[in-house]
Amino acid sequence: MPLLEVRDLRAGYGAIIAVKGISLDVNEGEIVTLIGSNGAGKSTTLRAISGVIRPRGGQVTFAGQRIDRLQPHAIVRLGLSHVPEGRGIFHSLSVYENLLMGAYTRDDAIQADLERVYHLFPRLKERLDQPGGTLSGGEQQMLAIGRALMARPRLLLLDEPSMGLSPVLVETIFETIQAIRREGATVLLVEQNALMALEIADRAYVIESGEITLSGTGPALSRDDAVRRAYLGEA
Amino acid sequence: MPDRVSRLPSTPTDLLRFRWPIFIALCCLIPFVVSDVWVQMLVFVGLFVILGLGLNVVVGFAGLLDLGYVAFFAAGAYTMGLLTSPGSPIDAHLSFWLILPLGILIASLVGLLLGLPVLPLRGDYLAIVTLGFGEIIRLFLINRDDLTRGSQGLSAIPRPELFGYEIDSFTRWYYFIIAAAVAVAFCTARLRDSRIGRAWEAIREDEDVAAAMGVNTTKYKLLAFATGAAIGGLGGVIYASFIGFISPAAFSLQVSIDVLAIVIIGGMGSTPGVIVGSLILIGVPRILQFRETSDLLANFGWLRDALNALLGAIDAVLPGSIGRLPAAETWGARLADDTRFIIFGALLVLVMVLRPSGLWPSSRRRLEFAHDEPPAPVNAP
Repeated sequence: MPLLEVRDLRAGYGAIIAVKGISLDVNEGEIVTLIGSNGAGKSTTLRAISGVIRPRGGQVTFAGQRIDRLQPHAIVRLGLSHVPEGRGIFHSLSVYENLLMGAYTRDDAIQADLERVYHLFPRLKERLDQPGGTLSGGEQQMLAIGRALMARPRLLLLDEPSMGLSPVLVETIFETIQAIRREGATVLLVEQNALMALEIADRAYVIESGEITLSGTGPALSRDDAVRRAYLGEA
Repeated sequence: MPDRVSRLPSTPTDLLRFRWPIFIALCCLIPFVVSDVWVQMLVFVGLFVILGLGLNVVVGFAGLLDLGYVAFFAAGAYTMGLLTSPGSPIDAHLSFWLILPLGILIASLVGLLLGLPVLPLRGDYLAIVTLGFGEIIRLFLINRDDLTRGSQGLSAIPRPELFGYEIDSFTRWYYFIIAAAVAVAFCTARLRDSRIGRAWEAIREDEDVAAAMGVNTTKYKLLAFATGAAIGGLGGVIYASFIGFISPAAFSLQVSIDVLAIVIIGGMGSTPGVIVGSLILIGVPRILQFRETSDLLANFGWLRDALNALLGAIDAVLPGSIGRLPAAETWGARLADDTRFIIFGALLVLVMVLRPSGLWPSSRRRLEFAHDEPPAPVNAP
């Protein structure tokens, strides 16, 4: 049974239906990516899975439990963390306090997790007492991922981690995502940077206008002509 | 987890160690050096410090813009009035000390009553609904005159007794209100630096992300409303007992606006900010009304003459556009009556232009405003 099972999920805002019944699976230990252009419904899908917006229909099952009617804080407790688009750093909280917020649902010792985040992102350790808002874009992205890891998630939802970052930093972030997977977490990655995403993903889904149009393994999709034309910038 | 605790900024014990005891001790000396009108003024300032600290929890900590704060103040005051005023239909001759917790409880229930329906609302929409809520409470107090005696109000509300002394003089009230304000300031500072405070801060910054961190936003927003309301209720009980007479006219929108202005002018989320804000917004207008102030201003006839010359010059260019200042001997009194609100309003605008984060911002907020200016270097590896 997949760790995350999404069936016929529908979601939107007001009169707009952004996600029109999509289904996808994420198996334990995989990196799965959801690629698509602007406004295709990628972020809405993640927001509906993590409960930040309430799904209009369909089912979401996580680790064998229905979560599509749960409040977001309850979903986090089950082991699903969401790194929102735009990183969502708390600007007035220090880097350290941001990390503490990530561990909000935990009541056991978190020192080991802090060390792990410092190990993944040494820059954060140098900036612990600095307000989150003063970090550079890349550092904020590191903090957002580190903060999500503080909850010790089984599944990490990453929304456009490469957005607005230089190519070198994008490289670093994607290496980190692979490192996180090696340490045992499962990742569902939403990206506009299809090239990079397909490179590290085990499997991928292509979403267009709120519907899944293609799916397959990462390498297979990166060879697909339609994908190459639409998302990899080839004529 | 010693690490977790030691890194919290300025723990309350740190704060209270030296700065606050000195400040409180200085406050306690004031009645020995000033006249009764000043002490009376300071009692009002202290009362609004309490209200400001309460609204600070809602607006400053949790970021929920509440324009109907007067409702909780009224709930506390009417709890006191209805249960102790001889004119009340449900006068029960209860002691102040029994009503104090009861008023706080009722006000926090009113807070939950407001909080529940507005949970999904944010920003401007929340402000409008809370504004309406404050008015509803006031209209309720006017129209349910079988219960509240309507506009006639409730009079002869008794004063508290403490260790056998009735708190009847301004000086005694002053010490009483200092004790209450210190207690409230201590509690709110502890809340701010706790796990709850960090959840509020997260909700204030980004409610969705806070929820994604696992913060139960429903619970913490209701808790903020209830806490703020409880403190408003405390202020209400004290106010009713201090003034001895309450009527719906005392619980107008103006109170909500005054308290909100105190929080914003002082600096949102900041305890010293609330004190500075109350002194300026509540203290200064009263000082301007003092006889002494009028007398003092009357000495500045030359300033009046200078201004009049200037106004005359403007008048010469644009005839009839501007009047003249009143005669020197009445200038002070007139200034206190007519123009103080204009001067006062101009001052407030000036403060907000020059210090947008407030006169005494909290350490967090100071950082936030300071770092808005230099954009963080993007893509520094």
